[in-house]
Amino acid sequence: MIVIRALAKQFAAPRVGWRLRRTAEPVRAVSEVSFEAPDGQITGLLGPNGAGKTTTLRMLAGLITPDAGQMTVDGIDVIRQPREAQARMGVLSDSRGLYPRLTARENIVYYGALQGMARDAAAGRAEHLARMLDMTALLDRRTEGFSQGERMKTALARALVHDPANIVLDEPTNGLDVVATRALRETLRLLRTPEGGAKCIVFSTHIMQEVERLCDNVVVVSHGRTVANGSVAQLLRQTGQSDFEQAFVQLAFPGEVAA
Amino acid sequence: MRAFAVALAVYRKELVDALRDRRTLMMVLISAVLLGPMVLIALSGLLASFEAQAERREVVVAGIEHAPGLKNFLERQSYRVKAAPADYETKLRRSKLADAVVVLPERFEAELLAGEQPVVEVISDSGNRQSQASANRAAQLVNAYGRERGQLSLLMRGVSPELLQPLLVQERDLASTQTRAAQLTGMLPFFVLMAVLYGALNAALDSTAGERERASLEPLLMTPAARAALVLGKWGAVASLAMLIAVLSCMSFLPAQWLLRSDTLQAMFQFGLHEAWLFLAVLLPFAAALSAVLMAVAIRCKSFKEAQASSTLVVLGVSLLPLVTTFNQSGEAPWHLWLPALAQYTLMMRVLKGEGFGLEQVAVPLLVCVVLTAVCVAFVAKRLRGAAVR
Repeated sequence: MIVIRALAKQFAAPRVGWRLRRTAEPVRAVSEVSFEAPDGQITGLLGPNGAGKTTTLRMLAGLITPDAGQMTVDGIDVIRQPREAQARMGVLSDSRGLYPRLTARENIVYYGALQGMARDAAAGRAEHLARMLDMTALLDRRTEGFSQGERMKTALARALVHDPANIVLDEPTNGLDVVATRALRETLRLLRTPEGGAKCIVFSTHIMQEVERLCDNVVVVSHGRTVANGSVAQLLRQTGQSDFEQAFVQLAFPGEVAA
Repeated sequence: MRAFAVALAVYRKELVDALRDRRTLMMVLISAVLLGPMVLIALSGLLASFEAQAERREVVVAGIEHAPGLKNFLERQSYRVKAAPADYETKLRRSKLADAVVVLPERFEAELLAGEQPVVEVISDSGNRQSQASANRAAQLVNAYGRERGQLSLLMRGVSPELLQPLLVQERDLASTQTRAAQLTGMLPFFVLMAVLYGALNAALDSTAGERERASLEPLLMTPAARAALVLGKWGAVASLAMLIAVLSCMSFLPAQWLLRSDTLQAMFQFGLHEAWLFLAVLLPFAAALSAVLMAVAIRCKSFKEAQASSTLVVLGVSLLPLVTTFNQSGEAPWHLWLPALAQYTLMMRVLKGEGFGLEQVAVPLLVCVVLTAVCVAFVAKRLRGAAVR
C-alpha cells in the first residue's frame, strides 16, 4: 500500500556561465501529486512527457528529498525512515544499468545481498524469478550482450529479489517489443493475484493502451499535478468520451488542445 | 553488523568485476609491473657495455705512424692501438663509433723533439655517450705520455721531477656502493609509484564514474544498503587491487636482479626481501589513499571519459612530485615527508641507498595517507546520492 499526499519538488535552474548567479527561474517538476495505490491492484501513473512522473517515483524511492508532502509505504514514512521504506519496495527505475561483466544471476544475487538477504536465499529467489520471467536460459550469461528485453527482465528480477510487497516501475515497457511487453503484462497480472502475492503495483507510462489493458486504477498527472483519479471506466464517464485517448487529452490538457 | 555484510558483498562484487576486466588488467601488468624490471635490465646492458669497453684496453688513434714514441708508450701500458677509420667524424656523430679518436698532427714527433708543444686532439661527440666515456680515458693516456716525456727531460738535466709536483692529490669518495647505485636505480621508485597509480586508476573510475555512466548507480541507491557501506566496499576493492599491483611490482625486482648483466650493478643493486618489505610498508598506505583520492575525483564526473580527463591531475601530481628531489639539490627536507608521492619516493630512495628508515620517518606519510583516505571516502559517500540522479 502506497500513499502519496500533496508531493512537491522544484529544482534550481542550472548555473549559467562562470561566476554568474542563477538567473533563470527554478523548475517546478512536481507541484501537487497525490494518490493511493492499494494492495492487490495495479495503479497506473499516466501523463505526458515531463509531467513529473519520474521525479515522483524517484522521491518515492528515496533518491530525492521532496520540498513538501508526505509519502508512506505500508505505513512507513519514506522521508523519515527511508531505508525501512526502501526495503519494502522493489523499484525498477528509469535507469536500469546492469553490470556487464557479471552474469544475470550474479547481478540479481548482488542486489539480494544489498537487501540484506543470505546468499542461499538470494540464489533461490533468482531461480524462482527466472522461471517466472522466463529467463532461466539467460541466468549464467554475462549481461554484456543482452537485448533490451533481456536487460529489462534482469533489472526487474533484480528489483524483485527481496520479494517486496510494493512494486514500483518507471516506464517498464520503454524499448520493448510486442512479445516482451505482453510477457511483462502477464507477469504483472500474476503478481497482482493472491497467488502472486497480491502486490501493490505502481507503474508510470505515457502509453494509453498499457493503462487500458492493465490498470485497475489510473492517476492522470499533468504539469506536476494529479488532475484525475479513477478506473478507466470512471474516467470515460467523467469526461463523457468513448475513446480513452480523447478522455486523457481532455483531462491532461484542458483548453490547450481543441478536441 | 548488517552494514558490514553489505560492505563485504560490495567488496566481493567490485573485485570480481575488476578482475574480469582482463584486457585492462593485462595492460596494467605489462605497462606498470613489467616496465620497471625491464628498464633495470636494459640499464644493466648499457653498463655492461661500458664495462666491456673499459676492459678492452683499446685506443683509437688517427695518425699513429707520426708518433712511434706514443705508440711504444701505449703498448707498454698494455693498450692496443687501433687505427681510426677515415670518416671517423661522421661515424662519431651517428654513434657508429663507440670510442673517442685521438688525432695526432703529421709533425708530432718533430715538434715534440723541438719543444714546440704539438697539439693532440681527442675527438668525441657529447651526443654519443659511449665515445664521451672513453674520451676521458684517452686524454688521460696522452697526458700520462706527456708527463713521462717531461720527467725524462728533467732527469736528463739533473732536476728532480718532484720539483714540478710538490704535492700529491688523492681523491676519496665517501659514497657507499649503494649510494652510487642509487643514482642509477633512482627511477625504480618512480616506476613502482606509477604501477600503483595505474593499478588503482581503472577500478576507481569504473566503480564511481563508470556506475554513473552505466546508469547503475541509481538502482544501487534504491536499495536500503547504507551509503557508507557501499563506499567502503568499493574503496576496499579498489585499494586491494592497487595493493596487489604494488606487491607484484615490488616482487618483480627480485627475479629481475638475477638477469642483470652488469657485475657492478649487480653488486650495487641490493634489492632483497628485506628491501621489498620496506617498499611495501611505504606503498600500501599510499595505495589506499590514492584509491580514495581517485574515487573522490571521479564521483564528480558523469562519464568514464570525463573522469579520465579529471584524473589526469592526480596522475600528473604523482609523476611530478618526485621530481622535486631532482630540481632541489639541497637534499632531503622535512616537508618532503608531508607530501604524498614525494614522501613515498623519498623513503624508497633511502631504502635503495641502504640507509633505511625508522618509525618516525614512516609515521608522517602514514598519518597523511590515513587522513586523506578518510576525507576522500567521506566525500564520496556524501556525493553519492547527488551523483545518482542524472
